[in-house]
Amino acid sequence: MSPRSIGLAGAVLVAVAAAAALPLVGSGYHLALGISLLYFSVLATAWALFSGPTNLVSLATAAFFGIGAYTTAVLTELLPWPVVLAASAVVGIVVALIVGLSTLRLSGMYFVIFSFGLAELIRQVVTWYEVNIHGSVGRYIFADTTTEGIYWRLMILLAMALGAGWLIRRSRLGLAVRVIGQDEVVARHVGIDTTRAKLALFAVSAGFMTVTGAVMAPRWTYLDPAIAFNPVISFEVVIMALFGGAGSLFGPLLGAVPLVLLFDVLGAYFPTYFSVILGLVFVFIVYGLPHGVIGLLESKVAALRRASLETGMSAFAERVTGPVWSRAAAHEPATDAPVLELIDARKSFGGLKAVDGVSFTLNRGEILGLIGPNGSGKTTALNLISGAIPADAGDIRLDGKAIEALPPHRIAQRGVARTFQLVRVLPASTCLENVIAGLAFHAPPLWGEPADEKARALIARVGLAGREGMPAGQLTYIDQKRLELARALALDPHVLLLDEWLAGLNPSELQDGIALVKMLRQEGLTIIIVEHVMDAIRSLCDRCVVMNTGRKIAEGPPAAVLADPEVIRAYLGDADA
Amino acid sequence: MTLTLDILLSGLVLGGMYALIALGLTLQYGIARIINLSYGEFLIAAAFGALFLYTGMAVNPILGMIVVVPAAFVSNWLLYQVVLMPLVRRAKNQGMLEVDSILGTFGVLFVIQGVMLVTFGGSLQSYSYLSVPVYILGTTLALNRILALVFALIIGGVLYLFLTRTRYGTALRAVAVNPAAAQLTGIDIRAASALAFATGGAIVGAGGVLISMFLTFSAAMGVVFTMKALIVVIMGGIGNMLGALIAGVLLGISETAVARLVDPGLTIAVTYALFLGVLLWRPTGLFGRPAR
Repeated sequence: MSPRSIGLAGAVLVAVAAAAALPLVGSGYHLALGISLLYFSVLATAWALFSGPTNLVSLATAAFFGIGAYTTAVLTELLPWPVVLAASAVVGIVVALIVGLSTLRLSGMYFVIFSFGLAELIRQVVTWYEVNIHGSVGRYIFADTTTEGIYWRLMILLAMALGAGWLIRRSRLGLAVRVIGQDEVVARHVGIDTTRAKLALFAVSAGFMTVTGAVMAPRWTYLDPAIAFNPVISFEVVIMALFGGAGSLFGPLLGAVPLVLLFDVLGAYFPTYFSVILGLVFVFIVYGLPHGVIGLLESKVAALRRASLETGMSAFAERVTGPVWSRAAAHEPATDAPVLELIDARKSFGGLKAVDGVSFTLNRGEILGLIGPNGSGKTTALNLISGAIPADAGDIRLDGKAIEALPPHRIAQRGVARTFQLVRVLPASTCLENVIAGLAFHAPPLWGEPADEKARALIARVGLAGREGMPAGQLTYIDQKRLELARALALDPHVLLLDEWLAGLNPSELQDGIALVKMLRQEGLTIIIVEHVMDAIRSLCDRCVVMNTGRKIAEGPPAAVLADPEVIRAYLGDADA
Repeated sequence: MTLTLDILLSGLVLGGMYALIALGLTLQYGIARIINLSYGEFLIAAAFGALFLYTGMAVNPILGMIVVVPAAFVSNWLLYQVVLMPLVRRAKNQGMLEVDSILGTFGVLFVIQGVMLVTFGGSLQSYSYLSVPVYILGTTLALNRILALVFALIIGGVLYLFLTRTRYGTALRAVAVNPAAAQLTGIDIRAASALAFATGGAIVGAGGVLISMFLTFSAAMGVVFTMKALIVVIMGGIGNMLGALIAGVLLGISETAVARLVDPGLTIAVTYALFLGVLLWRPTGLFGRPAR
């Protein structure tokens, strides 16, 4: 440890000790304020754990907080404290899983809208239960605890939430949600089970919120649904996390402290205008500080900016968080079967038959050119193979096994990697992280030191050495294409799908590109290229499949198919055939 | 039998209201691409406007719409131009605008709600206008409800004709389908978006006036209407007017049935159960087209 980090650790230790000693020296008012600071800090940290990286705004904090408070109210006289807290965590996680399972697999909007009403929904159900079954709306809580006890419990909870955040950021789960937040399509195509990743993180975040509610419940000796499920809590938590910066671990803490103090003052001096001022503060933050205080600091201080781009990988963190969400993908051994077979594959969009009964076989170690005029269905065919869109009918086999019903992440894990016609990199991540995203989710996953080494080697291989730490969004178009190829190669694919990877290059770049693809084949990679650059097709492809209006019209060596009258007619019209 | 009919008729009226306010939200979301969480606040504000005009100045709510609806149009137009335009300019893609608009309008929600709480207080409000029973097929329905439904149908019909038969309407539909391509045909998408947003606001204003004729309301209730409008829009398939109509009526009838048969306090639960059911069955809504 360097002297500087020892100094930092010492300072943190002193601050924590001072905070822990507050109940012993401070007044009742200080203690109450300390509790507010702590519980909002936990809630904001937990909120940002999920909503920060995924960009899915959750407005359901109050729902989980209220569930926790109610669990305490119901169980506190029956069970000891630790059991009550554990039970509340379980209830919160179960509710989160139900909500997440029904909404997180769909587009982000559904989740946001569902979360918007979740607190109200649960409040209604609880009210109904209390009135009709329990017999009274409210409950008195006679918990065997003190205010100091609540304070210290919240401190532990905050430490745990920060610890969880620290671990997740350094594990594959953290990378998975960073990728999802930037481009969910890319996430699926590097082998991330996006639903599971989001679900796991949402459940962890909800668990912390629920336990916070459970710890806080004894603060109200009388609890009813309107108190427990107060929607203003959801709102305040979102403001705090955004104000500090939801993208970083300590951002929400940085937001919670000043805003809790501000709200305390506002509540005391302007109780009637509280909600108006709250709203104005919120609007100001959304406009003025889109990336929070931390984002502002990062844009001013170069060292902070570098630090925010660097992502640590920790094998320890991965060992802790990995089992929570990730399933080991089976590594498929190579077989004698053709690498890939399409048998009568079909896909229609409404009345348009984009792929209309196409069959072809891809042999091990060859480069197959998939060519044809614009709109002939080439990219759709690639999308069927990579699983980006499901086929309507037909069989697709990889190494002899059916893959047509698999989701894209499973196909990626089995060894199909691709680039996209319109290049897709993760703009806010470094080049290094872009490539690590390709390494971390295939079978077997690479993480930590080995992933770092391999990623650097791949970056060097596509000619981007020295730019590992640069955000991918700052690369030029051609360099983004190189990076995308490095990410695809990181998947260690059996089959590589290149969708117009050579398009838009100038003549010398084109020669470099062709040389690179040739080298890949020499190493034994099997490749399908969709391409319009005829020079590249002639010099690279062993065979070509020509498509027109969704059908295969020719197949054979490039020279033969390019001379085929029907192919010429498809490209140039009847006059030239 | 009477109970069934009663539920169906009341549910139809309520559902008609939901469909109407969902139409306005479709315009705001489908064309201006803004998810407006403060939408329901404008409904409540309009309801307070109608209350004030009726009890304070003896203007009946139907006439009151002549004042309230243009006011809602103008205030929503301003909201878009002043508050939301910076977000539209800043957004690099639709996803960013959605997140920013959710957050921005979430703030606006609290501002408007706070102002209404300060001005009108938090208690439940209602007034009695044309609450005379009308006998239909052996059951009764208040005249104000029938009137509200009729006006909702008229407004919906006019909107439909506007969107399908006029140049402006065609421009709005073009922006809804593909903003980038619409721009290439010479449509000013910012102006079109502002128009759509304001029209959506005007519709929710009209909805607020109509609803205030037969429902009690309070300053804090806007959120519930926003929620229901959003859910109806999604259930019907985003941008689908017929879908919104059917989803709205479905919601109105199921809510009324649960309120009458089980407990009036469970209406949100019904909304959400229906929402989940539809989503699990058809993730793109009842009439939504599957994403390509």
